[in-house]
This record gives sequence, structure tokens and C-alpha cells, in this order.
Amino acid sequence: MERVVVAKVWEIPKGERKIVVPFRGRAGIGVFNVNGSFYAVRNICPHKHGPLCTGELSGWIDTEAPPSGQSGDIAVDELGEILRCPWHQWPFEIATGKCLTDPTVRVKTYPVRIDGDDLIVEYES
Amino acid sequence: MSEAGAAPITAPGWTAKSKNGVAIVDCDVHHNFRDPRQLLPYLSTFYQEHLLDQGLHLGTYSNVPIRRVRTDLKGRLPKDEFVEGEFAGGDPRDFNFKLEFLQEEHLDRWNIDVALLTGPPPFYGYSGLPDPDWAAALCRAFNDWTIEHWLERDKRVVNAILVSPSDPAQAAEEIDRLGDRADTAAVLVPLSASMPYGNRFYHPIWEACERHGLPAISHVGGDGGATRTTPTPVGYPTYYMESRMSRPYAASAHAASLICEGVFEKFPNFKFALIEVQQLWAVPVMWHMDSDWKGLRDQTPWLKRLPSEYFRDHIRIGTQPMHEPEKPEQMYQMLEMLHADETLIYCSDFPHFDWNDPVTVFPKLPEELHRRIFADNAIEMLRLKER
Repeated sequence: MERVVVAKVWEIPKGERKIVVPFRGRAGIGVFNVNGSFYAVRNICPHKHGPLCTGELSGWIDTEAPPSGQSGDIAVDELGEILRCPWHQWPFEIATGKCLTDPTVRVKTYPVRIDGDDLIVEYES
Repeated sequence: MSEAGAAPITAPGWTAKSKNGVAIVDCDVHHNFRDPRQLLPYLSTFYQEHLLDQGLHLGTYSNVPIRRVRTDLKGRLPKDEFVEGEFAGGDPRDFNFKLEFLQEEHLDRWNIDVALLTGPPPFYGYSGLPDPDWAAALCRAFNDWTIEHWLERDKRVVNAILVSPSDPAQAAEEIDRLGDRADTAAVLVPLSASMPYGNRFYHPIWEACERHGLPAISHVGGDGGATRTTPTPVGYPTYYMESRMSRPYAASAHAASLICEGVFEKFPNFKFALIEVQQLWAVPVMWHMDSDWKGLRDQTPWLKRLPSEYFRDHIRIGTQPMHEPEKPEQMYQMLEMLHADETLIYCSDFPHFDWNDPVTVFPKLPEELHRRIFADNAIEMLRLKER
């Protein structure tokens, strides 16, 4: 098991991220603080290999019926929990790495552990 | 048959009989009046005066360079008998349309089991008339004339009733008036429109279609009318062939609009056919919408499936005018990319000069695919088994 200290906890406030390079390759990972929970995501979009973790954060937009239907309410959930790749705007759930518009696509994620002031990412070598 | 022009029924691809008893459903068979005054008995007194005072004033410009109708058909009129001018809506009527000619020259000769009447495309200019009440009156009159002179005389003939999209409430009323007749199989709206057909303005029409289990059929026509768009998105072309080349773009725009606006989420049993608009355009529409959707979904979160899935379930494409690829194998590739077993419906475009007969339009197809294109897709879309 490899163990890498990727940041100090205070380096990444809520809603912020840190790109850590290199990390298992030149592209590195993005370490995100989503509402107090930390996640690490590989910085390569599985779609066209864009720099996924430099993209904007957004939410999951959903509604039941078309806007001219009986219910026109459009909800925005999970705000700040969805990462959009800067190249083609594909949305990924930071916590799971799942692409929300193509269930066959997923980006590699790593668990992040807090040890004192350190944020630690571990992986099988 | 030994007479000239008889069907070469041994040609490749030809199967005159089908396991389910219906070999050919032809989803584009044109009929027409000889003179708009034939509509007078079906118009109210007010609109009779309107027609006599003002004519149709459809105002379309369709620069077909040659005689519109096949010259081998019985019912051809000599040139000096053409009905010209305002009373013909700008359309030289060079064919003496009659049910008898349709039966003899088309249904009997080619063993057509069911023919969907689609009316006269030059008449589709009604959809661009600034007066929506006159447009609706013309549609009602044409539909009633069709019932009396065509539908009640041959059970093989079913109708795509004309409605005017410029007033969706009146269009829905007309669908309610005729929608439950056994010979009403579809609702026709011209391809040319002032807004793409997914727009909520039109939803009352699609709602009425769904209420009566009818698909909407959009056939090329209606462009250039008083309030209508030009035949191409970049203005008026000089020659007719140019107009023809722009039809796939109009079809693509309507298809994308119907999907994006959630029409098929709102009306889950509704089907929409685009005919006489070519076919291959549908492949990039399906492919490109799917790839775009993965990045652009936020704008249309009511879509619960890939755009191409809505397309394959709900949109149908006429086979005429069929592409003629450079290499025969490209035809098979095209049919596979189009999901032709789901999306294509045979259309002859009888009696026009650019028609496709059912024998030579395709190379030999696998039997199941042949049956889907020539019969089953249309049987399902028009719900012929339930009539």
C-alpha cells in the first residue's frame, strides 16, 4: 500500500481543490473538499483525456416533466458535488467518479484519509 | 401483366406476399383536386364567397422545371388543359387525379395493400396563410372532399387529414372531428413551419394526435408562402434541385426540436414521421445528439433517455427520395446506421416524377428487414391492425 501526503487540511477549504502532480503519472489528481468531505479524483477525463479536475463545479439539474408540462420546476441538487470536464462539459460525481450522462463511463477515484493536519491518499501499488 | 410499364415482379428485393398478409403499405400517395372550385360544396357560404372573390392565394413558389407528374400515367392532361394561375394555387395541375387512376396505375399494378393519402404539396401553402381561419376552413373542406371522393370508395385508401399548424386549437378540433374514423390514419402538417415542431405552441396538435392514436406526418411543402420561411435556410435558391437539397436540414431541425422539447416525454405514444426529406440526415442527428447530450444535458433535464432512443422509438422516415450510393454495399451500411428496421417507412410519392417504385428502390434485403420497411413499421405507426 502506497501512502502519499497530498496536502495539509487547511490548504483546501470547503468548495476548493488542490491539483497534486505528479501522482501516478504526470496528470496527477484533484483533491476536493466537498462540504467538509475530502475526495481525490484522477485528473484525466475518461472521455477524451482532458484535464478533468480543472473544470467547474456544478449541481445535478433535474425535473420530471418538460417545462410546458404540468410541472415546470427544475431542481438543482448536489450543488458543488458535480465536476464538469473543461473540454466537453461531461458531468462527474466527485464522490463516486460516475459520469452522470453515460453510465458506462467512470473516472478513477481514491479515498482520502485525514491524519492530524495531513490529507493522505493511499493506493495499491 | 404484359402491358408496358407493368411491375417487374421478379426483380431483386421483391416479395409480393408477406407472412402477416400485408405486403406493402405506401405512406405517401398524392391526391388532388382538378380545380379548387371542387371544394366549394365543403365550404361555408362565407368561405365560398372568399374562394370565389380571392382564390386560394397560397402564394407558394415551387420552381419544378419539368412536368410534376410522371408522363407514363393514364390521366395525363395535354399542356393546353392545365389549370393555371391563382385558382390552381400556382401549381400547374397536369394530372387528372381520380381514384380510378390511382387504383389502376398504382394500387393494382404494384399490389399496394394500404395507401396513405397525403394531398397536394402545393396546397400545403395553406399553412402559411396569414388568416388562420381561412387555412382551417380549407383543411376542413379538403378533408371532407377527400372522404367523399376517395376514402368511401376503396378500403385500401386511408387518409392523413390536413390540419393547419398556424392555429393549434382549430387543428385539434379537426383531429377530434375526424380522428376516430376508421379511414383517418394520420395527421398531416407541412414541413415548412415558422417555428420547429417541438415548440409548445404546437403541443395541442400532438396532444390531439395522441388522444386519437394518430401519428403526425410532415411532408415537404408549404415553403415560400405568405408567412413562411424560404425553401432553404439561406434564402431563395435559383433552381429546384437546390430547394431539394435543403430539406434534410428542415427535417433535422424538427426532429431535434421534438426530442429536446420533451414532446415524447409528454406524449409517450405519439409518433412523428418526416417524409420526402431524404434519409441519411437522421444518422448524424442521432449520433451527434447523443454525444452533445452528454455535455449539454442540463438544458433539457426532462429527457430521461439518450436522444437517439427517442428518435428510434418515435420518429419515422419516408424512403422517398431514396439515396443511390456509389457502391451497393453502402446502401446496406446506411440502412444499418439508420436502424431502418425501426425507422423507415416505404413511401412511393405517386404520381410525381421523382417517385420510388417498391421493386427497385432497394437492393435485395433480408426478408425481415424488407417486411419492416414495406409494411410492419407503417402498420404499427398507423395502427392499421386496430382499425
